[in-house]
Amino acid sequence: MRRKKRLQTNDKHIKNLAAIVGEKEILFHKEDLTAYENDGFTIHSYLPKAVVFPKNTEETAEIVSYLSRNDLPFLARGAGTGLSGGAVPLNGEVIISLVKMKRLLNVDLKNRCAVVEPGYVNLTLTNSISDKGYYYAPDPSSQYCCTIGGNVAENAGGAHCLKYGVTTNHILGLEVVTPDGAIIEIGKNGIMDVPGYDLLGILTGSEGTLGIVTKITVRILTHPEEKKTVLAYFDDVADGSQAVSDIVSEGIVPAALEMMDGTAIEAVESAAYPVGHPKDIEALLLIEVDGISAGIEEQINKILDVCEKRNVRSVKVAEDEQERARWWANRKTGFGAMGAISPDYLVQDGVIPRSTLPQVLGRIREISQEYGLRIANIFHAGDGNLHPLILFDSRIPGETDKALEAGSACLQACADVGGSITGEHGVGIEKREEMRFVFSDKEIEAQTNIREVFNPYYLLNAGKLFPSPGRCGEVKKEEKAAASK
Amino acid sequence: MDTDGKTAFEEPPCSTSQLSNYLWRDKPDEDKWADCVHCGMCLEACPTYEITGQEQHSPRGRVHLIKAVAEGKLEVSEPFTDPVFACLDCKACTTACPADVDVGGLIEEARGQIRQAMPLTGWRKGVSRFFLHGLFPHPGRLQFFGNLLKFYQKSGVQTLVRKTGMLKAMPEHLELMEAVMPEVQEPIRKKYKHETVVKADTESKREIAFFSGCVMDVMFSDVNESTINVLTRNGNDVAVPQNQTCCGALHVHAGDRDMGRKLAKQNMEAFKQADTVVGNAAGCGCMLKEYPELFREVDTEWREKAEAFAEKVVDVSKYLHDTGYDKPTAELNTRLTYHDACHLAHGQGVRQEPREILLDVPGVEMVPMENADRCCGSAGIYNITNPEMAEDVLESKMKNVPEEVEMISMGNPGCMLQMAMGVKKYGRSANVVHTVQLLDWAYQKEEEQRRQE
Ligand SMILES: Cc1cc2nc3c(=O)[nH]c(=O)nc-3n(C[C@H](O)[C@H](O)[C@H](O)COP(=O)(O)OP(=O)(O)OC[C@H]3O[C@@H](n4cnc5c(N)ncnc54)[C@H](O)[C@@H]3O)c2cc1C
Ligand code: SF4
Ligand code: SF4
Repeated sequence: MRRKKRLQTNDKHIKNLAAIVGEKEILFHKEDLTAYENDGFTIHSYLPKAVVFPKNTEETAEIVSYLSRNDLPFLARGAGTGLSGGAVPLNGEVIISLVKMKRLLNVDLKNRCAVVEPGYVNLTLTNSISDKGYYYAPDPSSQYCCTIGGNVAENAGGAHCLKYGVTTNHILGLEVVTPDGAIIEIGKNGIMDVPGYDLLGILTGSEGTLGIVTKITVRILTHPEEKKTVLAYFDDVADGSQAVSDIVSEGIVPAALEMMDGTAIEAVESAAYPVGHPKDIEALLLIEVDGISAGIEEQINKILDVCEKRNVRSVKVAEDEQERARWWANRKTGFGAMGAISPDYLVQDGVIPRSTLPQVLGRIREISQEYGLRIANIFHAGDGNLHPLILFDSRIPGETDKALEAGSACLQACADVGGSITGEHGVGIEKREEMRFVFSDKEIEAQTNIREVFNPYYLLNAGKLFPSPGRCGEVKKEEKAAASK
Repeated sequence: MDTDGKTAFEEPPCSTSQLSNYLWRDKPDEDKWADCVHCGMCLEACPTYEITGQEQHSPRGRVHLIKAVAEGKLEVSEPFTDPVFACLDCKACTTACPADVDVGGLIEEARGQIRQAMPLTGWRKGVSRFFLHGLFPHPGRLQFFGNLLKFYQKSGVQTLVRKTGMLKAMPEHLELMEAVMPEVQEPIRKKYKHETVVKADTESKREIAFFSGCVMDVMFSDVNESTINVLTRNGNDVAVPQNQTCCGALHVHAGDRDMGRKLAKQNMEAFKQADTVVGNAAGCGCMLKEYPELFREVDTEWREKAEAFAEKVVDVSKYLHDTGYDKPTAELNTRLTYHDACHLAHGQGVRQEPREILLDVPGVEMVPMENADRCCGSAGIYNITNPEMAEDVLESKMKNVPEEVEMISMGNPGCMLQMAMGVKKYGRSANVVHTVQLLDWAYQKEEEQRRQE
């Protein structure tokens, strides 16, 4: 029974926020808030103070300005599918949920761009322009439900980003509410190369720590003339990894080049979208090439040759769109499928030079043995973006910590070969400490200095992205708090 | 023992795990929520999330809250009840979830706990008892009530009631429901009272037992009639067991799992002889298939019986598709669209079969409906208990119904009533029909043509 919400609270902030967004657009009961204590990263849970649902930029700005004046911490949230805890209210933040700002504001086919509100769901964009022959390229596996605002914040990637680039390559302009409530516009709709600093670049991937995105102009592409998809099974992971390197060395730029290992295959085959992969193989590759029809056949033949040379057990080309779609559904639901073989999982997100793939996969296998936890691998092999999924059961005392340590060890393995600790899922809460694997103190400071320019009182999404202590910000905040007393 | 359906829970509340705030037996199943990895892939599938945008009204949020109570972080309280009872039981999340989390099952178990911790009071109790205990399990009363409503509508009583303002006490949509209610006819079960088996028209190839449904048999007995016609026409002997009863879905959705178990037992007994149980109401079929869940924790013997029973249950469209049917030759010349009833598409995985049947009727042009498998908001008595949300869901559904169709076909009486309300409310003209009716009409026309030749 949906109760008519009447504000039953003595909290003046709740009342004031409700006055901005309306009584129905604010949550503050513990039960409701409990649903917001996590995003896709479930290891740490914190209750927010409240959740508000603005309808437009102005309301967002008004909320932010109120919160900032009253020294209340806050953060933005999209669909809450983030995997590094970016939307977890570490400091009891007021969550500003952007899911009600979900309109497609404009589609400009001539200039190949579209303007969306931040709560607009990634796949909905492609679905609503595909009859006109267009699509939005960044395709995170969570595209059925994640928001484009969240994609901008995390600089999301996806299977087809190997050829087409990640989110940042598709963002042409942003409207942003700054942490003190001002509305600014960055990037002049689709005009390339605005003079001055590349603020679009800084904002994209800033994990919601510099401002709240309220409008986004994105690039849209025409559908490629043709697509062909290959599925190859390998008895040996090393052969599969070599095939990945070989394909790229052949001069082919596949639209997607994905790999799954045996444990991952076990999961997807016992979940909702099985396709009948053999269960005794060590690796499978899902390879897609697209573009103008001429030349596709030749690329496919080269790929088949490479696979043969690398001792493929069997390899086939998708016969029709249905088969292709089934392979992709199986791949794209891979993370969720872990639920079918394990109560919890922790997904890591390291990037390595492609050539070190066999070596790093070997190391991950060792880590799995050292910690006694199973690790599945589903990843964007083409760009060396690994996703080790550490399987554990949080109900067993101590196992969560073990999983975290194993995850960290995987990232260390990536850093050791000159790689990075995140490809697309962000740092969030999860990988703050691991930032030290790849950055010196000085380098981290240079970045926190940038944050200070945008977010001087450090009320917006504090405690994320950089290792603690959050030095300057914390001090400033305390200073401000002291001054206001 | 279990004759009044009460024994299972009459003992004092007991807690088996120290932390859990679920105090009664038949708790939400830990194995079900342990599968959820909080990925959010179910969000967009959920109609109540679409409308509210609120996480606690999403499948993921619901699972999380149910788990939070089990972990002792929350209590079974009014604000917990809200998201749990606002779920439509549409099972769209089950289709969307890559980990196969049985969200619906968890929700029903949680409702069972809530109803025991916080029994209904006041008018809600009255309405619930009236429908769930007083009416649905009793075919005779149901028919009487149907007739009464019609009498109410046609005689001057309706006007009188309106004038005196009595309707204000009645939810608005009950008015709408009464307005679209089909003419009450003679129920199948009454009609075939003296025949144990309705014989196949020609040579009999198979024998099946027909589940006639309770509301279905009173309000939609013409659909039941069509179903029997179509089955017998295709070589099936059709038994209509007299002691069958309401499937119990509405009771289970409302958290009354005791009554659910009682009805389940009666039905399993009634269909003991049958090898195949065919139904035409997706909601009922789905419930029959879920009987094992009701006995999961409380009774091993009945759970096993229920498992065997569930195997025998099949929807009429799938049954016809799998066993074969004559393609009609007469043309029906109509343009229609097909709505996937949640409990057929998400609940039983039946999507293609009814579409194929419709397309096998000559002259049928099918206009695809966008988001055809989105809930229409009927969900049992949901629209009585959650009128606001039900209205929003219906509105969103009606937006997807193509303008230019003459008929909307589907496989569930609950949906038929709800969609008929939608058609009326939004000024549409399409007729709402059951899939087997079309096939039956085509056969009838064929007969007629043959007779005229
Ligand atoms: C099953 C699964 C598969 C995934 N696959 C991929 C993948 O292939 N590639 C990939 O890159 N990611 C993937 N992810 C991670 C996640 O989906 C992405 O990070 C996505 O971009 C998050 O979007 P969201 O709307 O859920 O954002 P949220 O999780 O709600 O938020 C993420 C961060 O963005 C910030 N934020 C959200 N909206 C705004 C806004 N409007 N303005 C400013 N900051 C904002 C939040 O504060 C938070 O820090 C996957 C996740 C899951 C669960
Ligand atoms: S059954 Fe339907 S309403 Fe309930 S949680 Fe699942 S999708 Fe949402
Ligand atoms: S119910 Fe399924 S889809 Fe939804 S969050 Fe849980 S695992 Fe993911």
